Amino acid sequence: MTGFLIRRVLAGIVTLLVASFLLFLLVAVSGDPLATLMANPNVSHATIAAARQELGLNQPLLVRYWTWLTHVLTGNFGTSTTGQPVGAELGGRLLVTLQMVVPAVILSAIFAVLVGVVSAVHQYSVLDHALTAVAYLFYSTPVFVVAIMLKDFLAVDVNNAVGHTILYTIGQNTPGTTGTGAIMLDAAEHTVLPVLTLTLITCAGWSRYQRAQLLDVLNADYIRLARAKGLSPRRVLFVHALRNALIPVVTVIAIDFAVLLGGAVVTETAFGWEGMGQFLLNGLEGPVSPDTNVVQAWMLVVAAIVIAFNIIADILYSLLDPRIRLA
Amino acid sequence: MRRLAALVLTTACAIGAAACSSSSATSTPSTSATSSVKSGGTLTYALDEDVDGFNVNYANDDEEVLREIIENVWPQVFVPTPNLKLELNTNYVTSATVTSTSPQTVVYQINPKATWSDGVPITAADFIYNWEAQSGNPKYKDVGGAVYLPTNTAGYDQIKSVTGSHGGKTVTVVFSKPFGDWQVLFSDLVPAHIAEKVGFNNGFQTFGASVKVSGGPYEIQSYTQGEDLVEVPNPTWWGKKPSLSKVVFRFILDDSQIPAAIENGEVQLAEPALASLSFKDVVDSIPNTTTQVIAGLEFQHIDFNQANPYLALSDVRHAIADGTNRAELVQRIVAPLTSSIAPLENRIWMPIQPQYENTSGSYGDYSTTEAKSLLEAAGFKLGSDGYFQPDFGPEKGKDFTLTISTTSGVAVRSEIEQLFQADMKAIGIKIVIQNYSANTLFGTVGPKGEFDLIEFAWVQTPFASSSLSIYCSYTDASMCGENWDHYSDPQVDTLYSEALTTINPTAAARLYNDIDALLWKDMATLPLFEQPDLYTWSTSYGNVEPNPSSYNITWNAADWGLKA
Repeated sequence: MTGFLIRRVLAGIVTLLVASFLLFLLVAVSGDPLATLMANPNVSHATIAAARQELGLNQPLLVRYWTWLTHVLTGNFGTSTTGQPVGAELGGRLLVTLQMVVPAVILSAIFAVLVGVVSAVHQYSVLDHALTAVAYLFYSTPVFVVAIMLKDFLAVDVNNAVGHTILYTIGQNTPGTTGTGAIMLDAAEHTVLPVLTLTLITCAGWSRYQRAQLLDVLNADYIRLARAKGLSPRRVLFVHALRNALIPVVTVIAIDFAVLLGGAVVTETAFGWEGMGQFLLNGLEGPVSPDTNVVQAWMLVVAAIVIAFNIIADILYSLLDPRIRLA
Repeated sequence: MRRLAALVLTTACAIGAAACSSSSATSTPSTSATSSVKSGGTLTYALDEDVDGFNVNYANDDEEVLREIIENVWPQVFVPTPNLKLELNTNYVTSATVTSTSPQTVVYQINPKATWSDGVPITAADFIYNWEAQSGNPKYKDVGGAVYLPTNTAGYDQIKSVTGSHGGKTVTVVFSKPFGDWQVLFSDLVPAHIAEKVGFNNGFQTFGASVKVSGGPYEIQSYTQGEDLVEVPNPTWWGKKPSLSKVVFRFILDDSQIPAAIENGEVQLAEPALASLSFKDVVDSIPNTTTQVIAGLEFQHIDFNQANPYLALSDVRHAIADGTNRAELVQRIVAPLTSSIAPLENRIWMPIQPQYENTSGSYGDYSTTEAKSLLEAAGFKLGSDGYFQPDFGPEKGKDFTLTISTTSGVAVRSEIEQLFQADMKAIGIKIVIQNYSANTLFGTVGPKGEFDLIEFAWVQTPFASSSLSIYCSYTDASMCGENWDHYSDPQVDTLYSEALTTINPTAAARLYNDIDALLWKDMATLPLFEQPDLYTWSTSYGNVEPNPSSYNITWNAADWGLKA
């Protein structure tokens, strides 16, 4: 197991290095940070040359990449065009997004497995058809529509019924809240609707995947053998079928988790959260577009997260299926 | 999402005659409708953009949202009330008297109790510093020897001397040239003892100790970029204590998020960036809220950047103006909210002001035929695809294309752009829409002149000289820092000089109208319409009262409170 882990981590580091070069290249060729300056007839050539020098744009691409990489390895992601340190801001944004995505993924995984299993076990029953309809409904509904519906048709009614605000529609906290308990409660109350939005959308897709995987496994020969040997349906389902049916689902969950961390941008926008998605949008939207350091830092962090979660998925495989450890 | 036309006035007399007399006023500006309110509670006000910095007198920070935040933190000697009458704020100055007209001399008696929250008294030193920093005189330098970059120099540049006496509590201001609008000076007084250390230009750009020092009823407790700013009562405030225990300014850039937040009790007061009928219908249906639509000193307009070689041509600017169907814009955008608004024919005076005149002549008339003729006269040829192509310059032989920008996330502004785009297509100009966040548009794109056309609103004080920094020749960077359009007309400069030194309000109003007539002739900018402001707030709160001037609804925030 240790050897397997070391191999995967080393492979992950190599992959990240390759990804870092590719993303650097991608950002470098996607736009000239000085394009706006150069288009402005009032900006002198000397100013543009000075800016080019300051940003190191007059150096060969490989040199620029190496300089950037060595700075990143020391935790220095540079500054944005507004002069703010990118690393510190990125860290804060990541925490904000984690506050939304972690509970959403946990809840989605639990409900997806539950709904998938119930649907598969009761295939073509009324319950299966109902769950399928609900899943497709949310799967095909845009995130912002779900967000608006929850804000307009759930939050207000619930709050009115309770008599005070417990479901918030804007921001990740109430400014000026003091006391650890109050801060945590306030953060939880702000998190409910974004998490519910993400959960409804994410769970819908995952549950269909879980259902399909479990149906495949339930029709496999070894399951029929298990049943023929007289194992109880519960044991067949949970010990033999579900464990195998979870393997591909774990892959999907791991990758989707990383993607959500990178940019649940619509959900963030709908609820006024300043997370990773907004961070990237700001980096792409500004007059100096792309804001090189912002976009590169975002892409590198997301790449690292994707790779890390792939490694985690591999580890989970090995726990779920011992044969993988020998591979 | 509006910029402030910096403070300076001319017509105080026309609006409130007392303001131009030699006698002093002795009132404390307060709300006209007084409700009984109780202590405590929080009011959250949704602002449509974040701040760029915290010094509203610094050219790059000059925004309406910042004024709303800072006007209860930094001292205001005179405050315009909702009826646009100037009132002396006796919390700071117990009297302000014109003691001589030749040379014009004003003596201020500072309230003996007036003190910054760090214990330093408010004195003549603050007046002297604020004068020097905003005088435009290069002999006065900011920290590090940098040139001061004030929002506006009008009035300050006509001061000969500012001196203190009686322990700094008496301030004597002597003008080198008469300045009729002297009441507008010394507004949003920067704390001199702080600014001298941290700098006028850069010392208030990030939230920190320098920003926390207050001379008003509230002080800034916290600021989170992109999210919110919290004000709490200033414990050292010597005037009437604010009733609320907290005012939260929440930055909600997307107007569509506001109604749910109001209905949900997360926001108690809001003013969308640009009101729409659909927004009004939604907030009208929310129980326990009051909604008011009032005409304000605010107008939507399109700026032409004359650094663009084509927009530098008067014929091209006039062609765009002629081809813009402003009446249709009003009909579609504003009429559903209020039928009293028409296309705006003056940039300096608004229709709610008695000095307003139609100075446009025929320049504001809609005529696609005239527009096309002007383009042809300017050297453009109509291509087979229906777009004009210049036979000169960087777009020679290509479809004539301009980019228009405004603040993103404001549906009504997007609608204006789309209508404009359609109008321009009809006269053979291709329009590309490229919008930015408010902070980018007003912090970078506008001030650095990185645009062809931009659409936004100026928010003005009741006083015409506030327009100086927008329309005086851009070559004078210290005085005309808000002229982003590279516009320049020596005749306009001359008339401004004359208007600023004209004491007679009628004569001054005439001069400002003459200036605007020149602006139409030059087609410096294209005014669209006076913007109706929509305010909506919870009926649980008392003394909330909109103010049509740039002081906006927070002008009396110290009086706000939960109804008893």
